Amino acid sequence: MDSEDDMQDAWGGESDGNLSNENEEEDEEVSQSNEPDYGFDDFAADDDINPSSRLPQSNYTILSEADIRQRQDEAINTITNFLSVSKMEAGILLRHFKWSVSKVNDEWFADEESVRKCVGLTATRAENRRRSQTENLKCAICFEMHPLSRMKASPGCGHYFCETCWTGYIHTAINDGPGCLTLRCADPVCGSAIGEDMVLGLVVEEDRLKYKRYLLRSFVEDNRKAKWCPAPGCEYAVELGFVSGAGSYDVVCKCSHNFCWNCLEEAHRPVDCETVARWILKNSAESENMNWILANSKPCPKCKRPIEKNQGCMHITCTPPCKFEFCWLCLGAWTDHGERTGGFYACNRYEAAKQEGVYDEADRRRDMAKNSLERYTHYYERWATNESSRAKAFSDLIQMQAVHIEKLSDKQCQPVSQLKFVTEAWLQIVECRRVLKWTYAYGYYLPNHEHAKRHFFEYLQGEAEAGLERLHQCAEKDLQEFLEGDTWQNNFNDFRTKLAGLTSVTRTYFEKIVRALENGLQDVVQGQGAQGSHVAQGSRRR
Amino acid sequence: MSTSTPPQKTLSRIAANRLQKELSEWQINPPAGFKHKVTDNLQRWIIEVHGAPGTLYSGELYQLQVDFPENYPMEAPQVIFIQSPPLHPHIYSNGHICLDILYDSWSPAMTVSSICISILSMLSSATQKARPPDNDRYVRNCRNGRSPKETRWWFHDDKV
Repeated sequence: MDSEDDMQDAWGGESDGNLSNENEEEDEEVSQSNEPDYGFDDFAADDDINPSSRLPQSNYTILSEADIRQRQDEAINTITNFLSVSKMEAGILLRHFKWSVSKVNDEWFADEESVRKCVGLTATRAENRRRSQTENLKCAICFEMHPLSRMKASPGCGHYFCETCWTGYIHTAINDGPGCLTLRCADPVCGSAIGEDMVLGLVVEEDRLKYKRYLLRSFVEDNRKAKWCPAPGCEYAVELGFVSGAGSYDVVCKCSHNFCWNCLEEAHRPVDCETVARWILKNSAESENMNWILANSKPCPKCKRPIEKNQGCMHITCTPPCKFEFCWLCLGAWTDHGERTGGFYACNRYEAAKQEGVYDEADRRRDMAKNSLERYTHYYERWATNESSRAKAFSDLIQMQAVHIEKLSDKQCQPVSQLKFVTEAWLQIVECRRVLKWTYAYGYYLPNHEHAKRHFFEYLQGEAEAGLERLHQCAEKDLQEFLEGDTWQNNFNDFRTKLAGLTSVTRTYFEKIVRALENGLQDVVQGQGAQGSHVAQGSRRR
Repeated sequence: MSTSTPPQKTLSRIAANRLQKELSEWQINPPAGFKHKVTDNLQRWIIEVHGAPGTLYSGELYQLQVDFPENYPMEAPQVIFIQSPPLHPHIYSNGHICLDILYDSWSPAMTVSSICISILSMLSSATQKARPPDNDRYVRNCRNGRSPKETRWWFHDDKV
């Protein structure tokens, strides 16, 4: 791709058949005009900087409950075969190693003994002389004597308790939460794992369902490659085909919710997750609440949930399933701490950093105060307006698909399959509104003193708005004529060419603006270099 | 010193049976250094603790209050020191005790007697009489009669 010079033609509405709706690639080659461009060339150099934005969609899979069960069964079967263990044991191992088959394999073959000990699959059994069924045993939980027939031993270790007490023990664990999946024998010094078979064999239906639910959830919640779709009421999970880095990565669930895999907020490119979190927190009506959270909590360095510390030492463990252990003061992993960093109640890494001024919290708050309410309101209003436009465009799209397409097909004697370009135009409008919306959060956090970037940004944003306006106009007003017109109109093909062309060119432009913003508008800084001329041009247009 | 109890439901039949038996066993074979003060309340035991000879707490007398939940022993009892709690790095001035078996590591096969033995062992292994470093902050946070069972404890010291 050398040039997107034709962009301007399209924006200017001067397209005179130059635009091909057949093939996007062609679009970019048709018009090699010598008119001044808008600096889009310069984006090309950055195309590969953010690989996540270029990953093909097939890198993630949407999983239904049935798919999850199937994945669990497959993993259990694999482990059962590789390790020659029972299914129950395979389940215990997989849950312990967060459903990573390769991790189970590696750890097991590296040191089976210690893995067994760690997960509670000990081969040693409690004293287990032959007992007669009529022998009376005392249950160490209820302290009652029971005939052996009413006692039950855990298959792993052979510790006997009466059935009522086992059931009560498991019931309590299940109602305590997902910890029941790693339940151990009730004997205080035993530690042998209690597997699925024994749990499901003893408890009432309600507990069975809860336990099975936790089993299902563990595959998603403990697994580094899977997450639930955050849309309300949606029961699909998303599984990534790779281990994601820290960056944002947009996925679309089967429920049509479009969200960022990394932070679970709605899709927010070109803005990064951190900015989104700050922006959403800022928007929350309860600004008092926000101030409180900022002042009193810190996000878990791993899963980002806010944690309030109200007592105890500096060694913090996040709640399951995250369970990340870290130091409250420096937010570093606890594994890097110990006596030499000052023990449990101090952290000299933090003290050192504080002296260097890295953690000056007072400064941070003063900074926040500087952002005047007026400035915030300016960006917030535009952000919110674009969101309502996006919602409106989305409902128009639905209406289009439900009613208008068929009507159009009748009026213009076109098969529905030939009208896909209309739906695509509306999908693009929805997407553009979403991007535009987030550019306002981007603009809010763009430092004021970076004048060149700010001007370039505002220029790009203005062009984006104008371009979208043209597309919207065409998709709404021009289409109206063909919907309302009484007869077949012979200029329908021109309309098709125009709308498809606008859709394509708008898509290209928005993809570019997204990448440019994600790269932090680096072109502006590097603009003094060899490729700088276009950028300078762009930034001169104030 | 707060001796308040969290709002409690009466003991279940299973809990009452087990506590009766536990009490009978205690009366036959009490753990050394402990004395159960007889009351008519099965759901709250008051236990005297005698500091073990040859330790920092030798000759000292303390009182434990043990409150049993409705579904004891599936759930751990709430155990705190009342009146003046011993000065110890894991015992807060409001009587709360940082000891894993009272919270996360509770097992229904444990007993009041085994708790007492653990507490005495914790006292006996102390090398200095001191409050936990975060005592003031913790106690301030517990002002409203919060039960130690609502605290998320961290157990990192297996020596004392």
